[in-house]
Amino acid sequence: MTPASLAILLLLLPLGSAALIGLFLRRQGALASWISVTAATGIALVAGHLVFRGLRFEAATEWLRFGDFAISLGFKFDDLAALMLAIVALVGLCVHVFSLGYMHDDPSRARYFGGLSIFMFSMLGIVLADNLFMMFIFWELVGFSSWLLINHWHEKTSASDAAKKAFIVNRVGDFGFLLGIIACYWALGAVNLTEIAAKVHGGATVVAAIPLLLFCGAVGKSAQMPLHVWLPDAMEGPTPVSALIHAATMVAAGIYMLCRIEPLFAAAPAIALNVVMWIGVITALYAAFCAIAQRDIKKVLAYSTLSQLGYMVAAFGLGSLQQTLHSDAGSFDVLVSAGVGAAMFHLTTHAFFKALLFLGSGAVIHACHHEQDIFAMGGLRKKTPLTFITFTIGVAAISGFPFLAGFFSKDAILHLALEKNHFVFGILAFTAVLTAFYMTRLWKLVFLGAPRSESAEHAHEVGPTMALPLVVLAVLSVFGGYTAIYGHVFDGVLSLVPHAEGSTILMVSLVILIVGAGGALVFYQPAATDTFEQKFPGLFSLLASKLFIDEAYNYYVAKIQQRFAMLLNFFEQIVLAGLIIRGLAGVVGLFGLGARALQTGRLSAYVYWFLIGVVLLWGFAAGWTFP
Amino acid sequence: MIAGLNAYIALSALLFAIGFFGVLLRKNTLVIYMCLELMLVASTLALVAFSRFNGTMDGNVFVFFILTVAAAEVAVGLAIIVALFRRRQTVQVDELDSLKH
Repeated sequence: MTPASLAILLLLLPLGSAALIGLFLRRQGALASWISVTAATGIALVAGHLVFRGLRFEAATEWLRFGDFAISLGFKFDDLAALMLAIVALVGLCVHVFSLGYMHDDPSRARYFGGLSIFMFSMLGIVLADNLFMMFIFWELVGFSSWLLINHWHEKTSASDAAKKAFIVNRVGDFGFLLGIIACYWALGAVNLTEIAAKVHGGATVVAAIPLLLFCGAVGKSAQMPLHVWLPDAMEGPTPVSALIHAATMVAAGIYMLCRIEPLFAAAPAIALNVVMWIGVITALYAAFCAIAQRDIKKVLAYSTLSQLGYMVAAFGLGSLQQTLHSDAGSFDVLVSAGVGAAMFHLTTHAFFKALLFLGSGAVIHACHHEQDIFAMGGLRKKTPLTFITFTIGVAAISGFPFLAGFFSKDAILHLALEKNHFVFGILAFTAVLTAFYMTRLWKLVFLGAPRSESAEHAHEVGPTMALPLVVLAVLSVFGGYTAIYGHVFDGVLSLVPHAEGSTILMVSLVILIVGAGGALVFYQPAATDTFEQKFPGLFSLLASKLFIDEAYNYYVAKIQQRFAMLLNFFEQIVLAGLIIRGLAGVVGLFGLGARALQTGRLSAYVYWFLIGVVLLWGFAAGWTFP
Repeated sequence: MIAGLNAYIALSALLFAIGFFGVLLRKNTLVIYMCLELMLVASTLALVAFSRFNGTMDGNVFVFFILTVAAAEVAVGLAIIVALFRRRQTVQVDELDSLKH
């Protein structure tokens, strides 16, 4: 088979599975789940073939044409797409298998697995898309599947509210994305990623607004400030969904999209990248602070995801790096898009360890009979040893423990920050301290000490379908940072990763780890109440309030936007519907009423009208004029 | 005394006026119909008079056509009136007013 038809197969597998489940198997949970898992396995096999055989290609076909404007569907499968495809396929398969165990007793698991399949279809579409329009279509489809899966337990009001919130907040970002695509087409005459890159290299100028509008899409999808509010609420969905969609793949699609349009940023004025960088930095710091004050195990991980996504966005925003290459012909300086390399590298390792942490939290929640409060857990180290070991690896990886995956990718970002902007470096390093702090807090409260509730007392280890993905992801979280193992396959991206020389960054990471993790280990006591809350109640309540951003949005929507909408509605009723539409109809109706009065049905009346008509006609023919 | 053209025209106009006012004022469909015929006859009278005094046949030719058309029209019109009477039991135009708004 040609690579292009393999790519089509890649899209058809999950689409076929979703259609089959949605149309015929809505009540056959067991069969549906196996079909979905089979599709995910097929995706992983085909993706592995495409990625590791080094098949790289571009193919496109025209889909719609309106005059000069054509929308095409196509694939651009370069190293960047290959890396993303590998992540999506691998984490997707792990989550599918994990769901077999986690959702085993759910009455509507057919719908759940159908949703997973439609998500895989949409996500693969984003990964493979060769132009912005196609990407946008699948971008909306992942939004839809995210809505579907957050809404899985729709009988809970909180879940359906969260799903709506996620969908609506994403719409705000997507509106900017769409405007950006239109502006891009208007300015460059192209939406195809390769064409855009060619035009930019050919010297086309790009105003900062175009990449920034496109960035709006990433702000929504990757939950950056100020559109981050949906991601913590999205934790209402089943935990494997949080792992797949809201940690590893969909929310990372924003960063992936940024890397796809990197030529636009490179050609635009520096302000564009600076905006991106600051939004990422602020999100990273803000979310890390919020994570400290959360009690719900999934909420902690959600804010941690926000913070790490901020890290990636900041890395992208730091931009390219001047590097000196040494060769036989002498040494020369080149500009390397180190931001892309660092962001994608961190995206990769983050996908592994965050999926691991979320699936681990799923295992914990499952073990504790759907208890999610970390202060009601404790002592799970002995009850669930496998979950404990894998979760510990995840915590160590995200905290930047030396020689685990997160260590390398975070160092790459910190190194880049140190080269480009010392202030940003300081904030990011402080964020890393906070990350180590809240992750260790979570880990200590859940696994150490004595059980603090009935459900933690009776915790039980997970079954094999849930254990296997944890082990696989734990292995990846350990070895994912060694680009020497797999880097040659994705050379186009991973060769861009900046490498720290000397020991400065290593020392900094060690200090970060010791201060953050050590601080949390010493500070938190395994008790039913938050030590932080007891010692610093004022600061804690400030962090727990999340800076009142949700409240501000509520106020804006309820008090300002709603009133403005009512005002507009009033004008619509009075002016548009009342005066213009009903008014016009009334005038025409009056004419009709007059004309109807002539129609009496009496013959003699008609004869008079006829007579008047003849006289007028005669007068007209004779050349009379009205005075 | 031999009547001149003006006398014929005057008679024709008088007949036409009788027919016209009959159509306007009378209520019985048959009478209105006869008044219509009267107007046709008035115009044929004028045409015959013109033909006679101009010494050409043009007017006479018109008259033949008018008579032919009038005969056909009478046949159709009377049939309609008979059918109307069978259906509505009246030929008074005041009562035939169902075709209104």
